[in-house]
Amino acid sequence: MLTLMKQEYYKAIKQNRLYIWIALSFIFPLAILAIFKSQRTVNAITNFGQGTIYVFMAGIIITALSVSQEFGFGTIRPLLSRRFNRGMVFTSKLLLNFSVYISLFVAAFLGTMLGKMIFAPKINLADKINYVGTGWQNMGLTALTTLLQMIFIAALVLLITNLVKNSGAAIGLGVVMIVGTPILSSISSLLINMAPILKWNPFNIFLGVAVYRQMPAHLFKEMVHMSEGAVFTAYAVYIILMYGIAYFIFKKRSV
Amino acid sequence: MALLEVKNVNKQYGSKKAMENVSFNVEAGHIVGLIGPNGAGKSTAMRAITGLMSYSSGNITFEGQPVTFSNHQALGKIGNLIEYPSIYPNLTALEHLKLYAMDTDNPADFKTLMKQTQIDGENFGKRKAKNFSLGMKQRLGIAIALIRNPKLVILDEPMNGLDPQSVHDLRRLIRELADTGVAFLISSHLLDELQKLVDDVVIINHGKIIETATMAAFFSHDKVRWALETSDNQKTINLAIANQWVANMEDGHVLVSGADNLQQVITAVNQAGIDITTMNTVTGNLEKSLLDMLANDDKGE
Repeated sequence: MLTLMKQEYYKAIKQNRLYIWIALSFIFPLAILAIFKSQRTVNAITNFGQGTIYVFMAGIIITALSVSQEFGFGTIRPLLSRRFNRGMVFTSKLLLNFSVYISLFVAAFLGTMLGKMIFAPKINLADKINYVGTGWQNMGLTALTTLLQMIFIAALVLLITNLVKNSGAAIGLGVVMIVGTPILSSISSLLINMAPILKWNPFNIFLGVAVYRQMPAHLFKEMVHMSEGAVFTAYAVYIILMYGIAYFIFKKRSV
Repeated sequence: MALLEVKNVNKQYGSKKAMENVSFNVEAGHIVGLIGPNGAGKSTAMRAITGLMSYSSGNITFEGQPVTFSNHQALGKIGNLIEYPSIYPNLTALEHLKLYAMDTDNPADFKTLMKQTQIDGENFGKRKAKNFSLGMKQRLGIAIALIRNPKLVILDEPMNGLDPQSVHDLRRLIRELADTGVAFLISSHLLDELQKLVDDVVIINHGKIIETATMAAFFSHDKVRWALETSDNQKTINLAIANQWVANMEDGHVLVSGADNLQQVITAVNQAGIDITTMNTVTGNLEKSLLDMLANDDKGE
């Protein structure tokens, strides 16, 4: 597994210029705070200088490329015709992607902190800012929920990429999931109005995680029609299911 | 025990049989040509051996270890180039070798391998693979197949895109490696090139093996023929038929076979008052033999 991980990083750095993606993750919040005075607020800073949207997009694109490129370049053949089984190859890609998400967050965090130090030094993240808690706690929560959403969308992107062997459709769907929250909310409401059991639809569950701790628990329940615990349980089931199906397709595919 | 053993392997796509009881062996140090027309099952067999495709029944073993779709530890000692070179566009030739060398504790020496496969010149250097010509990609693909110091190398159409000098150099490299004990399983449509290279042939048609033999044994099927250009070709054909030999016109020559020896033909032609202007002995030709064999196989179906 160590060999596979080394190879995945080698490819990510040499082929996909991972360092540029990570550098941009550092620059993005810094640039936002430098350019837009209106963003020099505690809310923007706890949201990584609005850098979460970049981290999200970059993570999804890298996830899609990690599989689709192998099919596109034909490198899937040498990748799979080795002593390693397909489970190990698939896992190495998941671990690479997960570590890339963490790296993107760390870079965004450092960029945000530098931006705060230069452009908004008076903001104190130790102050309590809402019912969740301090600025630091809000920032941690943002990182956690964004990471959870990325893992969910990455599963969907991997599934689609494995099905169609093309990153375009997968990235498109990922972007819709990221920026199309109002659309997803409408679709979800329509489904729930048709039949209450459809509250378990993946869009509703995804929305539940996206708005976690952005409102009191009773309002959360009113919005997603279930408790926070139920949302996270369903979320875990969906993630396992999607990664499972993606792996199944990857494992069975003749190349 | 053979290095690679393929025993009664079957593969079916719906109602179409892609491989039917395919069996053959590859011995250490032997160069085996896997030959057949398009769609015969050559690539399917190679993909099954390299764990890229499942097979319905039968066994594939390498050094006694099973090679299946889900279990192929043995592939650590097999290098391959299947169908086309697999290249990462933004990596240089050396970076490709470094990437694939991570698979093993005992990779080939980069400099030597690059020299052997001719990817060490100015054309390569720091250039990214996306800027390589087809021939350069092909040479890099061959280098990748050899980077793990494999005991068996599987090459599907390795001469694609190579210029005559590169084909000659590749042939020499394969022969040198085979002399050190490395086995090769090669498929190619360039039968003249294969004929100069392989020790054994495996002929496949419609997913079935129709012949496995050493190159010498394979040509023993092929009768010796003599190509004559004479002052009266038609009279020569009639004369041959009268002697109960086989004769026909091909490319302006009378091709005669079935006589005991060449002297017998010359004597008969001279006695008939026919002048011989040119004369050649035509021995084993892989292309001709293969076409004859495939034609006979198709007639038998």
